[in-house]
Amino acid sequence: MNTRKFAIYPYLLIAPALIFVILVVFVPVFNALLMSFQNYDLRRPSAIGFSGLKNYGSVLADPIFWSSIARTLLWVLFGVGFQFILGFALALILNQHFLMRGFVRSVSLIPWVTPGVLIGLMWRWIYDGNYGVLNDLLIKLGVCDEFIPFLAQKSTSLPAVIVTIIWQGIPFFSIMLLAGLQGIPSALYEAADIDGAKKYQKLFFITIPSLRNTIFVTTLLRIIWVANSVDVIFSMTEGGPAYATQTLSVYIFNKANSMNLGYASTMSVFLMILLSFVAVPYLRSMFKKH
Amino acid sequence: MKKLTIVLLLVFLVISMTFAQGAKEDAVKAGSVGATITHWYWADNSKYSALMQEMVKDFNETNGKGITVVAEEYPWDGGKYSENLFTAVMGGGGPDTASWKLTATPLFTANNLLANLDPFLKDWDGKAGIDQNLFDIMKEAGKTDNIHVMPWNTQILYVYYRPSMFKAAGIDVPKTYEDFLAAIKALTRDTDGDGKTDVYGFGMRGAKGGQEPWGSFIYGRGGSLADLTTKESVAGMQDFINIFENGYVPPTAPSDGFSEIIANFKSGKTAMTIHHTGSAIGMVETFGDDVSAFPFPAGKGQWTSMGDTENVMFESCKNKDAAFEWLAYLAAGKGQSTWNEATMNVPVSKAVQDQPIFQNNRFMKASMSSVSYAGIFPILDTTTEWISVTWPNTIARALFGEITAQQAMDILQKDLYR
Repeated sequence: MNTRKFAIYPYLLIAPALIFVILVVFVPVFNALLMSFQNYDLRRPSAIGFSGLKNYGSVLADPIFWSSIARTLLWVLFGVGFQFILGFALALILNQHFLMRGFVRSVSLIPWVTPGVLIGLMWRWIYDGNYGVLNDLLIKLGVCDEFIPFLAQKSTSLPAVIVTIIWQGIPFFSIMLLAGLQGIPSALYEAADIDGAKKYQKLFFITIPSLRNTIFVTTLLRIIWVANSVDVIFSMTEGGPAYATQTLSVYIFNKANSMNLGYASTMSVFLMILLSFVAVPYLRSMFKKH
Repeated sequence: MKKLTIVLLLVFLVISMTFAQGAKEDAVKAGSVGATITHWYWADNSKYSALMQEMVKDFNETNGKGITVVAEEYPWDGGKYSENLFTAVMGGGGPDTASWKLTATPLFTANNLLANLDPFLKDWDGKAGIDQNLFDIMKEAGKTDNIHVMPWNTQILYVYYRPSMFKAAGIDVPKTYEDFLAAIKALTRDTDGDGKTDVYGFGMRGAKGGQEPWGSFIYGRGGSLADLTTKESVAGMQDFINIFENGYVPPTAPSDGFSEIIANFKSGKTAMTIHHTGSAIGMVETFGDDVSAFPFPAGKGQWTSMGDTENVMFESCKNKDAAFEWLAYLAAGKGQSTWNEATMNVPVSKAVQDQPIFQNNRFMKASMSSVSYAGIFPILDTTTEWISVTWPNTIARALFGEITAQQAMDILQKDLYR
């Protein structure tokens, strides 16, 4: 009897957190799911009503939706890929002993702690096709002889926003991987030194295997965040020109801003399905640990 | 026992917080007796921000009814202002009154968010001093039988030009649409002989907001916004594409917005651009006498965009009488003359229009000369999305040669009138 009485306490204690999560996460998700089956356009409130799978059909027949998915894949692949490579390189450097290491570690965090909208606006001016500092530098270095409209042409606008998101995300990887690096016992490296291992051998046979879990978790998390991010692209290009930088998240944002919440919710469901390919392995790894 | 104490403490904490919140709300309700009106607005530059705050201060000190207006500034952001306002009002956190663009009206009236101004206008003695036509346009915009929007000022687009550049190119101010296209070409020059263009004939606005000057090209060929797919409308679109493809506008044109076209004109990178009197003071500060304006010239047709700025009161406003006092101050009171004298927008009050400062200004003259053919974009529930997303992206696709002028116009027609 006593055992049963005491067993209720843990549930009572987690109840406020659970209720909060249900209210701010599950209710909106459920609501979005419901809206995806409705003709829910606030510009035409009298026409709001159940529409079955109509939104799903319209989304699947929408060429802009498919091109946005393709762009999302590029955005994530190159964005997260280079964030990881450069973040890893930075973590290895920051793990060395050098003068003012603490200061350099702090400074390297700046892109990560800067708001995305501010980053977008800052890079927009860096890339500016008439007065931008990047163009000025390129001309002075003799790389080109006239200003390049980076954000005003299709060939350069997506790479330009990808470089920006790479710049923003490098510190995340470097700090997480640096923490992992500091957890690797030095005895492993000492043993490798005695065995005559070269630097690259230590990297591939000690460092990377030891960081495997950290790399897995940080990469999956970052894929989810980058795929969902809107702020940087929106403040730089709003998805243009000619939809050249419109990822699925930006398309959803644009549609929701236009008050077509049914259509936006339907696309959100597709994005959720897409991201579940990443989220499920992540959650499984989390549950395994516990 | 210890755990039970923790649980009881938690329950007590939650109950206390709930009551504390209730007490706070009561206090807020009691405070509303002093008629505080929250007003949202946008400003094109920091001077106008300060000006609005000065007007608010003046109103608060002189209204004699203890009304306090608190003006909060939000960026226009190519129309995003209206979307943010809608989200705020729908969420129950919006202001009492706000500066306004007519295009946003159907969305708000469809959701019953705007207050009906008819009962207030009926007894207002300032109504006769404003052209009835303006009130008719306000009524038409809401798609209801009532007026929900209070006129404030209008902005009529015209062409800015640099007389010194016209002289250097050896051309006169264009009298026809064909002359205008020829001037764009003639003004595009390599001034230092290095084989690269230094001055572009025209500052094209390809980002949001660019649909207004673009409309003039469509009418110039005899087309219209009512049907964008006619061969005349398509011909106007083709002109727009041609001036980009021929390099008569900066290569950044597909993403150039208000800031870029103004900066390019002020830096001498472009010889002409289209905007309204809202930017006239800054132009004179930069160029002195070496800047002037002409109405967009006539071709087979003639049209220029009449921008509008109004004010609205929201249905959720708890002090509607006080809010109307503020709207009336802006439409016909001191707020009308102060704002329009400083910003050089076209006043709606006939008494203010007659003042010499408006009658003797070259930019205002270009605006006034355009009144007879100025118009507004079709106010539909699709217009906001069309302006923000469809127009800039479709135009960019056409400028890049991804789609033809005809295909672009088909897309624009379909999305606007769907």
